Amino acid sequence: MRRASLVAMLGSFLAATALTPASAGDMTFERALNVDKEPQNWLLHHGNYAGHRFSALKDINIDNIKNLKLVFSVALGGFESGGRYKFGNLEGTPIVEDGVIYVTDGWGSVYAIDVSSGRRGVFKWKMDPGTDRAWAGDVACCGVNNRGVALWKDKVISVTLDGRLIATNKATGEVVWERKIADPALGETLTIAPLVVRDLAIVGAAGGEFGIRGYIDATDLNTGQQAWRTFTIPGAGEADNDSWKDGKDRWKHGGGSVWETATYDAATDTIYQGVGNAGPDWDPEYRPGDNKWAASVLALSPNDGQIKWGYQYTPNDPYDFDEISEHPLIEAKINGEDRKLVVHAARNGFFYALDRVNGSFVHGRQYVDQLNWTPGLDPKTGRPLNYDPAKDVQIYAEGTHGMRGQGPSRTCPSHFGGKNWEPSAYNPQLGLLYIPSIEGCNAIETVQQKDFVDQGGTIKPRERFAGGGPKTNERLYGSLKAVDPATGEIKAKLRLEYPNYSGALATAGGLVFIGAADGEFSVHDAGTLQQEWSFNIGTGINAPAVSYSVNGKQYIAVLAGSRQMPGVFANAPELKNTATASMLFVFGL
Amino acid sequence: MSVRVRGCRITALAIVAACAVATLAAARAQTPQPPALSPEEARTIAYGKDVFKTKATCQYCHKWDASGDQGYGGNALSLRKTQLTPAQMAEVVKCGRPGTGMPYHDRFAYTDKRCYGMTRADLGNDMPPAGNEFLQPREIDAVVKYLFAEAVGRGESTYEECVEFWGSDTRECEPMKDTKKP
Repeated sequence: MRRASLVAMLGSFLAATALTPASAGDMTFERALNVDKEPQNWLLHHGNYAGHRFSALKDINIDNIKNLKLVFSVALGGFESGGRYKFGNLEGTPIVEDGVIYVTDGWGSVYAIDVSSGRRGVFKWKMDPGTDRAWAGDVACCGVNNRGVALWKDKVISVTLDGRLIATNKATGEVVWERKIADPALGETLTIAPLVVRDLAIVGAAGGEFGIRGYIDATDLNTGQQAWRTFTIPGAGEADNDSWKDGKDRWKHGGGSVWETATYDAATDTIYQGVGNAGPDWDPEYRPGDNKWAASVLALSPNDGQIKWGYQYTPNDPYDFDEISEHPLIEAKINGEDRKLVVHAARNGFFYALDRVNGSFVHGRQYVDQLNWTPGLDPKTGRPLNYDPAKDVQIYAEGTHGMRGQGPSRTCPSHFGGKNWEPSAYNPQLGLLYIPSIEGCNAIETVQQKDFVDQGGTIKPRERFAGGGPKTNERLYGSLKAVDPATGEIKAKLRLEYPNYSGALATAGGLVFIGAADGEFSVHDAGTLQQEWSFNIGTGINAPAVSYSVNGKQYIAVLAGSRQMPGVFANAPELKNTATASMLFVFGL
Repeated sequence: MSVRVRGCRITALAIVAACAVATLAAARAQTPQPPALSPEEARTIAYGKDVFKTKATCQYCHKWDASGDQGYGGNALSLRKTQLTPAQMAEVVKCGRPGTGMPYHDRFAYTDKRCYGMTRADLGNDMPPAGNEFLQPREIDAVVKYLFAEAVGRGESTYEECVEFWGSDTRECEPMKDTKKP
């Protein structure tokens, strides 16, 4: 090596070292429990363990929001094709710690981006896990997705679509260890952002359209080994396995996938995990019975995965109303009594409040504009009114779901929801939960599901297992609704041109941030929901924003760039030629 | 303009090639050794594979081996078992299948009567969805040629076909390792 090159190399090494910010502190359980003491950071997927997606920062507020502007953006990768997909998507929630943003792309690459200058993002490192794209992308039902990372001690914890949990050195980007959790050979993939409680990383497998038996899985981060696995569909001899009445062990491919992060209550040491649809999605006659714990929420002990209680929203669900999305924890006074609630804006179109200690139903109320699948909920139990315990296959309302040998249904809300995985946000100061929704109706047509090969049929692992399909003839639209979780009452609402596929962020500045399919990133008054500001980034936004501050200045960060789902946007031809991108956008005053 | 050539009703552009491929495919079904392809034919088939795999993502619903699927978006037919002629298949790619989830890929389909003599207004709720990408005639021609060269009339797909489609840098074909050659 020539001397000049050596000197140059040494020089850049020293410069790089000098520019590297002081190493961030270890992420501890103590810090995770007290994120409110670090409002400059966004340390947990949902902002806090309670799932509020609320930033206490208020330098950007209702009085100065007109001055918000794009301060910089960062181009990322991850749009490579693979399996059934032409490109990967960005659905992740950024994690921000001490001026460094950690984001993922759909294939599971992790990017550590130094944003401390406030003027640009500088890559500290990129960890590309070498995902087997064809192998995983061929059994991803709904796109190439990854919803973000978790921090633990000096490591970044992430997942890959092909089923691995990876611990990466936070300072260097070096992979320290990885553990295979989900098996694409069985149709399982991982898209969830891990929930870290103490030294456990809790994730779950996606694959509800490929005949998986879903589970929630914990890894001991000190050893990289499995701590426990709890199947969402109980096995033979386990409680509630008798809610599968087919007599053919169809629970073995019963679905119940898990693909969005749980909330956690430290007071009772309980996690609240939403659980996906039963499999096959649209042929309920294939799986008579209530099909627990599909379309449910489970309260579990994070130490051992034991189920404390479960609550099923749509028994024998014929709609694909899977309920994996967030379950915020909220304290409310109801009839003069202080209640500890776990709430849920369900894909089935109802807003539910449950007692989070014992799982009992507190109240439920329709939040979508149109809902035809049930005349309402039983005020005592929250069950759909037409639920008949004597029937093994539920007919909630004729013509609202597919049945074998019948034509397409008209289903409201559409099978997309209600609200899909995209998270709500809660402003505890105003006591309002902001629900970004998909409004409108579509059609489901049932096709009799064939059995799996291990059950005497012809369906092989990795083949689709949906029992029919949807068709969207009507143009769907969206809404943002502010709901009082103590009553379920809608306090404010705003119609949106497009179904919302971004999720929401609420801030103490009296603001709510959402993104739209046409690239509009908009800010709304937290009380009236009136739009106060917007900027069009030019490609669809399918990820929720976060807020952080560095050197005393507040920023808003959001990932953008996603496939516009043809089913959802079938009737919005103006979006047809929107190209995907893979970008991080950062806004500030 | 359309003409009828040896059972194939086709428009001017596609004439000889489409039927020639059909004839080749029929010949191959009877003999184990496929006839050598000209460089031009090989290029067209490779181009068609890219349309099928990536550009139009036909495999999303039809599966990589075109054997059909009970898909999240509906049921896609097996193109390995199809009885369609190349011209008919090209028409379905162009126009979709009314009343089903099979999308149309001609940007101007149903704006006039080029597809089955019908317009969007005639079809109402039976209007098929638009493809993720619209295709030019040469792309439709190529994807049809690809399918007739690699899928139509073939039995169950094999491990070797899988590796040919996906490459050998993925586990994708491992579950098929025990598949016997037809």
